[in-house]
Amino acid sequence: MNDVAIRTEHLSKSYDGNHAVREIALKVPRGAIYGFLGRNGAGKTTTIKMLLGLTRPSAGSAQVLGMNVATERIAILQRTAFVSEKKSLYPSLTASELLRFSRGFYPTRSDRAAEKYSRLLEIPMQQRFAKLSNGNQTKVWLLLALAQGADLLILDEPTTALDPISVDQLMHVLAEIAVDRGCTIFFSSHQLEEVERIAEYAGFMDRGKLLLQSRLDDIKSEFRLITAAGNSLPAQTSAQVLSVGVEGNFCKYVVASDAQGFAAGLSRNGATVTDVAPLSLREIFLQLVQKEQ
Amino acid sequence: MYFWKCWRDTRSFFIVFAIIAAVVMPVAAVVCVGTGLLENFGAEAFRSTFALIIMFVALALGALCASEEFAGSTIHFLFTKPRTRAYFLWTGWAVGCSQLLAIALVNWMAGSLTLAHYSKNPIHSAIFESAMTQQLAGAAIYGLYVYCLTYALTVVLRHGLRGLGASMAIVFGVPFFAIAVRWRWKINLPIPSEPIASLSPLTSNIIWLLVALVFIFAAQLVIERTEI
Repeated sequence: MNDVAIRTEHLSKSYDGNHAVREIALKVPRGAIYGFLGRNGAGKTTTIKMLLGLTRPSAGSAQVLGMNVATERIAILQRTAFVSEKKSLYPSLTASELLRFSRGFYPTRSDRAAEKYSRLLEIPMQQRFAKLSNGNQTKVWLLLALAQGADLLILDEPTTALDPISVDQLMHVLAEIAVDRGCTIFFSSHQLEEVERIAEYAGFMDRGKLLLQSRLDDIKSEFRLITAAGNSLPAQTSAQVLSVGVEGNFCKYVVASDAQGFAAGLSRNGATVTDVAPLSLREIFLQLVQKEQ
Repeated sequence: MYFWKCWRDTRSFFIVFAIIAAVVMPVAAVVCVGTGLLENFGAEAFRSTFALIIMFVALALGALCASEEFAGSTIHFLFTKPRTRAYFLWTGWAVGCSQLLAIALVNWMAGSLTLAHYSKNPIHSAIFESAMTQQLAGAAIYGLYVYCLTYALTVVLRHGLRGLGASMAIVFGVPFFAIAVRWRWKINLPIPSEPIASLSPLTSNIIWLLVALVFIFAAQLVIERTEI
């Protein structure tokens, strides 16, 4: 049994010479909640489209649930639920009719789960989709995906237009199905707090490149802000040092790995290390993006 | 399930036009009783209304059946269901095609029975007259051709109105073009509503039917390669 739910190798997509996605190598373990982070236009949606076979890669390959996207798309879609970034659906159908419509495609779908999630998300099931508020339209998409009983959930900006209570409920549900059913959840977002709350793994995208991907705990434990004082402090960035900021006699270094070693090196060169502090996910993300620019 | 969805989207249109197709000839007959119009021009009026209704329904169904399904906003939902794109294309086509044929059948039956009922000689009715049947079959095949063309263009352009507009331009433009070519260069180009050269009406109809299906296959090739 393959223990990786999503694996891509050198996956690339370009439109008229513009690189939307550049040689990314995603690895999403089975049963994990993976937050796919990036700014608008970073290439998250294009990557998701390639994973679902909606768009063909310009180069590279993708495997989802151990199957090749290029040749086994239908089998993948049978076991994958998807929430699109565009939350449009057939305007004349009610949520209840959309559920019935969706049921025909998935033999494993559970009516009990559908009922449970529709109650939990407080969706007006008899109202036409066009008459629903933006938040409720998003909830209908989520309901269709959750009720499907899929092995993999791919959610593209799933919390768009949701109020904080609904976001909270959704996060709770996602964590529950990941634990109870071993479902893999791959969700894109630019809401770092959401990712920080439930994700076990995170990947950072910017300008089509995957800047970093790892366990969230490892990312947080590796990145450090080191403050040092002294003369002739190094002012260059490197693979290890993402940024250097000078404030008077102090230098602030954002270090991506081996912070202790770097601090020890500064001390050996006569500097006084005054602080080694952890960084929040937001700060790490900003530093990575700034370095890339 | 997808068949149900397509039927649900178009059923109101179908019911309205099935009713129109059913009542148009009987109502005209009732209005014309005693004037002799029905006896003299009934068959001609029937042919014209049949062709008109089929043509209108073909254009409208062609655009309706594909516009919502393949529009940019909902295609993400549809194409992430575990079915091939060809499945969605042909199911939508089959629903519209069945509705078009059902409306043609209703109109044909209502018209034929009306003519048979009001004609002085019941045997001299449209049902039994082969020339009449042939013309109606020709009109139905042409309707199918127009439907397939409109459906294919709507799928390819992924927009109902654009598909309808492009189809209407072809449907109304091609005969004018063919006539112009015939007049200027004395070359006879085939026109979809007419028999092809010296071929029999049956053979011509079969060829036009195949041409209509080619449009759908072409649309399938395009939509299977479309990047969403």
